[in-house]
Amino acid sequence: MDKRKNPASHRLSRLRGWVQAAATLLTNVHLPNFVKGGIYQGAGKTVCVPGLNCYSCPAASGACPIGSFQAVVGSSKFNFSYYVTGTLILIGVLLGRFVCGFLCPFGWLQELLHKIPGKKLSTKQLKPLRYVKYAVLLLAVVLLPALVVSDTGMGDPFFCKYVCPQGVLEGAIPLAVVNTGIRSALGRLFTWKLIILVTVVVLSVLFYRPFCKWICPLGAWYALMNKVSLLGMQVDRRTCVSCGRCARACEMDVDVTRSPDHAECIRCGKCISVCPVDAVRFRYGFSLPSKQPSQPCEDK
Amino acid sequence: MSVTKLPKIMKIVAALMMSALVLCLAACSTPGGDKEKPAPDDASIEALIAEQPKNAEEATDLYNRLMQKENDILSSDKSLWEKVFAGANKDSSMIGDGSNYGDFLLATVEGAKDTFSADEFNVLKTGAEKIKKIEDKLAALKKEFPDCASTSGAGESVDAASAGMTGDAGKSTKFPSFKGKDLDGNDVSSDELFSKSKVTVMNFWFTSCKPCVEELGELEALNKKLAEKGGQVVGVNSFTLDGNQGEISDAKDVLSKKGVTYKNVWFNTDGDAGKLVSGLFSFPTTYVIDGNGNVVGEPIVGAITSAAQREALDRLIDQAIANSTK
Repeated sequence: MDKRKNPASHRLSRLRGWVQAAATLLTNVHLPNFVKGGIYQGAGKTVCVPGLNCYSCPAASGACPIGSFQAVVGSSKFNFSYYVTGTLILIGVLLGRFVCGFLCPFGWLQELLHKIPGKKLSTKQLKPLRYVKYAVLLLAVVLLPALVVSDTGMGDPFFCKYVCPQGVLEGAIPLAVVNTGIRSALGRLFTWKLIILVTVVVLSVLFYRPFCKWICPLGAWYALMNKVSLLGMQVDRRTCVSCGRCARACEMDVDVTRSPDHAECIRCGKCISVCPVDAVRFRYGFSLPSKQPSQPCEDK
Repeated sequence: MSVTKLPKIMKIVAALMMSALVLCLAACSTPGGDKEKPAPDDASIEALIAEQPKNAEEATDLYNRLMQKENDILSSDKSLWEKVFAGANKDSSMIGDGSNYGDFLLATVEGAKDTFSADEFNVLKTGAEKIKKIEDKLAALKKEFPDCASTSGAGESVDAASAGMTGDAGKSTKFPSFKGKDLDGNDVSSDELFSKSKVTVMNFWFTSCKPCVEELGELEALNKKLAEKGGQVVGVNSFTLDGNQGEISDAKDVLSKKGVTYKNVWFNTDGDAGKLVSGLFSFPTTYVIDGNGNVVGEPIVGAITSAAQREALDRLIDQAIANSTK
């Protein structure tokens, strides 16, 4: 019998691995395309998936929000991606960085890589790098595609073209393996992005989710939305014993008791699992900031 | 306690994911069509060569059967012959000069002797000799019955695609026929479009595709160059299919900005050609089509502005012109 005060939160965080697996599969449901060497181009591609998942993955069931945003702002026909931005605001308000922790295939991949045994390094001293992702979002996703345009008014999807390792992993590599035309089109750009991918893979073994923490523009967006998201963390200050286990368990370097709506919190629920007094839980719905603790839990 | 189970579950999930990733990569096989047919035996070829047709019809029939034998020889050791063709394309002067195609193959095989093992070389040499014999017979047939070659759709030349050289022997190599219009509203039919040109470079693009638009200038220059050789560039903007007026005017804007004068056409999406376009997922893609309406080689994926892609395109163009002039 579960005597916990927050059974639902415990259950959700315990099932996280399965949710990640299911989300990855649903995001990439057209598996036979891996063998056929084409991509799905049906109606599903008119909708954005919540996580970072390449449109050009043979199996992809929807479009990548970051890719779609750039494609629209970079096109000569449109000035701004209202539809994609609306989708991002909606997902951001409903879930925030819960997407990173539960739904993003690339986040899951990095987590799995981090399970490879070996030396693990802390990112606590590397906190300033967190701000790089906001620059990536602003420059590579919004400003450069919209402003650096050709004579016909077209911009490049800078993030997709020059940065995104998920595109190489899901798009370029599987397509090039089975499609000779794509293979012969690979050039220096592919080599560059392959280097990025390999770097991210190696770093993921050493650090927990390095791409999410430092580079991901989608993570940056949801990080901003974490502040207003309906889904958040709640710490019961009356039961909290200030043992500090939650902060030590957090691999995103967040102290949930201090800032439950922290931009870096991916809602993985590790703090829920380790709390000895069940003081941490997921909350859903409107909650006024005043109800949240602004100070660390008091000693008892 | 259930919480302590968490790492175990995660480990299982991790192991499953890893094996799925490995399987994903392992499942990627080479494209089908690599099965090689056995080479036709000497006796059947000799028998054909010994036949003496009495009238033009019999001559045409024999001609086609001999051509089939040639194709069979070439497709029996496809990968080897592909190497030979790759080498031959650099100097294609002999292809068009009317000399025996078998001689041409023999010379090419001899020239590239170092790149093959002794066994491979023997296979190629015997093949080329057989083709030489067949070609002699074909030439004799043509002397006696000048029309025997022209009535067959195949023509004298062995185009790489029909000989199974393009990696997918089972696929039809005819570009799907279509009836459509150019962007000024004039009727266009594929048969007419392809047959009046020795080579048609068909470029698939769409208006908001940056690499597509960036190569338009180069395609325009190519069109001018091809015009001297009796060839042409034709554009197909996938947005304009089904005659979408707004898209047509947008496309015309971009084309005029880029100084494009060559023909751009649209057709309906429900036809075979329309289905071909909806199956494309990388733009630009460029097809090379010979005067018989056959697709030559594999389509070029990505812009032709890079040196390697341009070289590949030029090779296909030469091959198409050779197919059309034979």
